[in-house]
Formats: sequence, C-alpha cells, structure tokens
Amino acid sequence: MPLIDLIDASSSPLLLRDLYTDGDPGPLVGALAQVPELCEATLPFVGAALGPSAVSFRHKEIAILRTSANLACRFCVDAHTVVAFESGLTGREVRALRECPDPTDDVFTDPVEAALIHWVDAVSTGTGAIDPVTSAEARQQLGDHRLVELTVTVGATILLNRLATGLQLPTLDETLTALAMRGYESYNPGTHVSIGVAS
Amino acid sequence: MTATAVAPVPDTAPAPDIAPTPTLHPVAEAIASGTIPGRVWFYSNYHCNLACTYCFTESSPTVAKRAMDPEQILRPAAEASELGYTDFGITGGEPFLLPYMVDLLKDLSALGPTIVISNGTVFGPRRFTRATELAGHDVAIQISLDAAEPDLNDEMRREENFNKVVDLVPRLVDAGVKVRIATTVEDGRLNADQHNELCALHRSWGITDDDHIVHPVIHRGRAAEEDMGTHLAFHEFPAELTFSVDGACWGPFGPSFTDGKLDTDLLITRTLEPVSTAASALLRLADGRPQGADTQLGIR
Repeated sequence: MPLIDLIDASSSPLLLRDLYTDGDPGPLVGALAQVPELCEATLPFVGAALGPSAVSFRHKEIAILRTSANLACRFCVDAHTVVAFESGLTGREVRALRECPDPTDDVFTDPVEAALIHWVDAVSTGTGAIDPVTSAEARQQLGDHRLVELTVTVGATILLNRLATGLQLPTLDETLTALAMRGYESYNPGTHVSIGVAS
Repeated sequence: MTATAVAPVPDTAPAPDIAPTPTLHPVAEAIASGTIPGRVWFYSNYHCNLACTYCFTESSPTVAKRAMDPEQILRPAAEASELGYTDFGITGGEPFLLPYMVDLLKDLSALGPTIVISNGTVFGPRRFTRATELAGHDVAIQISLDAAEPDLNDEMRREENFNKVVDLVPRLVDAGVKVRIATTVEDGRLNADQHNELCALHRSWGITDDDHIVHPVIHRGRAAEEDMGTHLAFHEFPAELTFSVDGACWGPFGPSFTDGKLDTDLLITRTLEPVSTAASALLRLADGRPQGADTQLGIR
C-alpha cells in the first residue's frame, strides 16, 4: 500500500489531465500529481534525464538499474529490470547489475562499461568527492558530455528511487507479469550488497 | 565605410514623442480584457456552525478548521492586486467564526471591493456590533437564504436558520453594511412563486435584484454524496483564482471535500505564493477553454 493517496483519473488536476487521457499513468505520476506544478516541471526533466539521448539506451539502463539497485529501490529495480531487457541487456548482465558487488569483475569487462559502472557506483553510493582513479577512468572512457549526462541520469534516478521507496509506491501488475515471464520476482533489496564497494 | 551625410543632431534634441509602452503582466492583460475574472477568493476556514445538506466543502462544527491566518490572505491579496486582480472574496466554512474576520475584511477592502460569504446565523450582539464596523468599507456580506418560507429554507440548513437571517439582514442594512443575498437552488426545488416571494422579501429590505445571486447546488462534496446538484465540467465554472490552505483551485467551487479529503480535480497548484505561479497556470488553462463557457449556467 502506498503511504499517500495516489491521484487517479477521476481526480486528475487540471494541469495534468493530458497525462490521464489514456488511463492511469502509474504510481509515480499518481504521487507527483499531488503537486501539479511540481509534476508538470519534474516529468519533462525526468524524461530528458532518463529518456533517449546522446547516451545509448543500453548505457542509460545500466546506469538506471545499477543506481536503483544501489539505492535498494524495489519499485525502480522492478520497472527497469524489464526496460533493461528491452535495451538489449542479457539476463546475466541484468542479474549482475541487480546483485553483484562489482559487476565489472567478470560480466561487464568492456572498458567503457566498466568505467560507467564504477562511476555510477561512486556517485550513487558515495559521499564527498569521487576518488581520482574513478574520475580519471570515467572521463577518459566516457568523455565530458556523457559524464555530465550520466551523472544527471544517476541523480534523477536517485530522486525517483527515494520518491518511490519513501512513499512505498507499488510495483505495477503489468511489471510483475513481465518480470515473471523472465523468471524474476519483485526485487528483494536484501539480495544486493554493493554499498561502498565502488573502486 | 560609406560617406553618407548625416544631419548633425543638436545636443538639445527633443525626446521622441513615442513613450515606451508599459508591459503588462499577461495575467493583468487577461483580466483587463475579460479573459479571466478579476476576483480572487480565499477560503478563510472550513469549519461552520451548520452542516448543510448540499455543502460542497463538507463543512460542519466538527471538521478541521483549515484556517488561513490574516497574513496568509493579505500578503497574496496584495500581490494579486499588483498582478492586476481587482476584487476579493472570502468564503468558508463560516468566515465570521474567525475572531479576526472583520479586521481582515477592512484591510482586504483597501485593496479592492470585497465579498464575504456568511450563513448569517452567528451574529450575536457582539459579532453584530463588530460587523457594523464594515459600514463605509467596500465590503458586502453575502448571506445565504434559499427560500422565503422558513420550513423550506431550513430543510437543508438548520432549524431557526431562516428566522436568524431575516432578523439579521435588515439590521445590517440599517447599520449601513452592504448585504447581498445568495440563493442555492436544487433543480426544481424553487418554483416561480417561491422565487418571487424570496425576491419580494429581499426587496423589502432594500436589497436590489442585482444583489441577489441564484446558483445551483453543485454536485461536489456532501452534495455529491447526497446525490444532489448539477454536474459541471471545469470550464463551466468561473475561472476565479481560489486559494485555500490546500492550494490554488479553479473557482470557488474548486476546493471541495469528499470523505474529508480535498477533491483535486479542480486543483491548479499547491503553491500559494508567489501568486503569479497559480495565476499564470490558471491563465494557461483558461486560454484553452471555449469562450464564455462559464456563463452558460449563470453561476457567475
């Protein structure tokens, strides 16, 4: 059960009616709709940060799924496990991002993707400055504009992670069905122990 | 560089005749052009000594007050005035249950003509004396009276409601306080004879037909629970910016309550200040609705 009332189509605020024309837009919008002007500003930002861009779909999903697992967000890990498969990630890769302390050990060995995951782990789990080795690796492998964008993607994902976790948003039934078809159950945050292991 | 001859400009050349046009805020332009109404409403509180059957805010003596303190009203009202809003309204709940209401109305009326909606049943000697201080201020007390027959009026309100109102209104008028009468009509409840009797009554107090407002029960809040009232789409409500502690809504029927929770379908923003946030959003919505849509049911 969510902590708050989620706004449904019958009570959609005036500024957000377009979001409800095709039915229930889901728990995130249902929660944000409590503050229409904030929802109106947040969704385009989240769309730009998480949606198609100069960073590939695959790399975006690596960043989003890994961040969500690091933040132990059931709602976002469930949703982005499904999306990660759509982006072309394999079952082994998805499981590594969800569960492995360091997925770059033997799954993500490509230098660009290893740098990406190291960066995501450092940004999403650390405090203070990122260590110089991780920073240098990320800048060299990703380049400045991808580094900026991926950092914003991680930040936007953390925002959604904490929103969904704090407000106890429920995983959509259709997501659970899609997960089951892949042999997954809803995410159990206890299966992930990567906090503090970023190199 | 080409050698174009340029007439020398004397140091004392007069300033051009064309003065810069002051730029109006889009909200001010919209109010001036009649695109949106110039009145801003404030829900001063939600509690009430009555619990009317058709009340769309579910007000009663036992609900949470949800009161706005004077500064929560006066500060945004001043900003609204700067934005181009011209008139103000206070509603509730029963506003006169708040001890600061008369002073608030005096201050608000300094910014523009002000209407306060009251059920007219809370004016004992002390409140009445205080209310007479509104004489000479640009404040109209809009008092609810649904019928000229006590039983018919009190049926959906409370026993003795009629007697209290007919006792109060002429005394307020005599004291120089401007009074309007508001009649809420469920479809078919008030026939022509009853309507005429009611009009004869308010005219006998010196209240003209211009100051008698008739509007339908709106199918929201308790009225909806009682399966009463007229269903309206949002663009059929007046686009009057309306503030309550819960946010800014489209029109004074916006911040209705069902089962103790705000109905969010007419919610515009949660942000009350700056007023321009909600006012600009309302204008965007108003620009998208059919012209004159809110006049179709005569609820202005």
